[in-house]
Amino acid sequence: MAPVLAATRRRGSSVSQREGRLAWALLAPSVILVGLVVVYPIISSIRMGFTHIPLDPAMPEEFVGLEQYSEIVHDPEFWLAIVRSLVHTAATVAGSTLLGLAVAVLMNREFAGRGIARGIVLMPYVAPLISLVFAWRYMFHPVYGFVNYWFVDILPIFSGPRDWVESPAFAMPMVILFDIWRYFPYAFLMILARLQSIPKTLYEAAEVDGAGSWAKFRHITMPELSFVLGSIVVLRWIWNFTKFDDVWLLSRNVVTVTVYAYLRAFQSFDLGQAAAISSLLALGLIASVSLYVKKVLRW
Amino acid sequence: MVTQVARKRWERILVGARIAAVLLACVFPFIVMLSVSLKPPGDETTYPPSLIPRRITFKNYADLFNPRLFPFMRYFQNSMVVALAAASLAIIVAVPGAYAFARLKFAGRELVQRGILSAYMFSGVLLVVPYYRAVIRLQEALSVQLVDTKLVLVLTYLAFTLPVSLYMLGNYFRTIPAEIEESAMIDGCTRTGVIWRVIIPLSGPALVAVFIYAFMIAWNEYLFALVFLISPEKLTLPRGLAELFNTQHYIWGRMMAASLLTAVPVVSLFLALERFMTAGLTVGGVKE
Repeated sequence: MAPVLAATRRRGSSVSQREGRLAWALLAPSVILVGLVVVYPIISSIRMGFTHIPLDPAMPEEFVGLEQYSEIVHDPEFWLAIVRSLVHTAATVAGSTLLGLAVAVLMNREFAGRGIARGIVLMPYVAPLISLVFAWRYMFHPVYGFVNYWFVDILPIFSGPRDWVESPAFAMPMVILFDIWRYFPYAFLMILARLQSIPKTLYEAAEVDGAGSWAKFRHITMPELSFVLGSIVVLRWIWNFTKFDDVWLLSRNVVTVTVYAYLRAFQSFDLGQAAAISSLLALGLIASVSLYVKKVLRW
Repeated sequence: MVTQVARKRWERILVGARIAAVLLACVFPFIVMLSVSLKPPGDETTYPPSLIPRRITFKNYADLFNPRLFPFMRYFQNSMVVALAAASLAIIVAVPGAYAFARLKFAGRELVQRGILSAYMFSGVLLVVPYYRAVIRLQEALSVQLVDTKLVLVLTYLAFTLPVSLYMLGNYFRTIPAEIEESAMIDGCTRTGVIWRVIIPLSGPALVAVFIYAFMIAWNEYLFALVFLISPEKLTLPRGLAELFNTQHYIWGRMMAASLLTAVPVVSLFLALERFMTAGLTVGGVKE
């Protein structure tokens, strides 16, 4: 053994140092890719926010300080877009979490075909967005769609057909409904997994004490779920606030802040201003993300 | 007693009805796709709408396979190439990285883990503008084409899938008993030999789950395809179909047939392997 140890010492590397080098070598591709595609753009967008970027890439960039930020915060359209995003996010986070909770409680029991049923519930979540968008646009078509037929002709809830796609007042509810439908399976899955780990003896003990089903839900189920519900709400808040494709593909008439930023970048070709918007959003989210990783999520 | 039994029965029926309603709401859009895709032109725009076609035609599906009518096959092929490449690379890149997280002790591990996990919470829309700018500059600096190539999409999707892939694989690797590795190393296996000969053969389900997860992300992605793809013959399915829809030259039946065939690969893969997939989904969720 002695010669081996001496040899290791001569090269100046202990086992743990060698492990460290190996670990970094194994991780290098992942770290480089995530660094280039995610970390660098976030940092770069902060720099770009202070820079005027000419259309022609050959032209020099110009440092303009807070000018672009000030343009944004003085644009009423930006604030309208923020309000739309807040409405969309609050409604879809609340809706999809509550629906997910209700369906998880409903399906947390033995019944025939339970496995298949669970798979079916996950379909809105795993199917490609583009397919779902076409089906929904057909269902909500103002002239021959199912929704107007049901709610105007069969159940007279609306006085007349609604234009769910072109009219901003009705496009927003459609987009909200779509995202609740699409993302409730995520909440469902997380909550169901948690529900199944609650010991049955807790409920049995409560029954002995004469607790009804509401009391059991209120005093056993809800406390057990508070942690997972918290995670879902935080994650969905972050993801839904920065949602672009669902909103953009369903209707061009719901200009949330992400659509606003996209239009700035790729229709007005004002990359600097778009970057300023992204970095504002990113800074807001970094705060919540770091809080989330620290407090809620355990690796 | 009789009322008790009757009440229990009513409760059972009520629960069954609710479950049925939920399932119907989940599949209804898919039924709409199927129904409309089987209708001949004209029948899909009649009022009141009906789920059951009066006449059934398979012409919409036949049209998808006719490149002169509809570039569906071309889009399908592009999406398949991009998704398969991204998913294969995700395995190749994430397996060694996840092993390092699961088994090796090194300085900065906590920081890297947190950094990578945080990365996955940033939606594409926050990154797309500076990323687009960086790709354009790189393209000019190296004088290689990157915009309008599959390569840039593959690398982008790969990076998006890495956080969850590393997380899923790392957790799985931790469940493999360390004694197996130790005995392999006593027999003269190196660390890299252990990954290749012990870890990979024992991680089948996790590898499948990561592959499908990465495939789904790449198959469904729209925003970066929208920004980076230009040539009509290079479009992926989400991008290409959205384009056709907005030309107003669409035929509903054909679009629905295309939608259904776009959904079939990922939905069937997912349902067939749901057992393996849900563990990954609950890890922290799939970001779409």
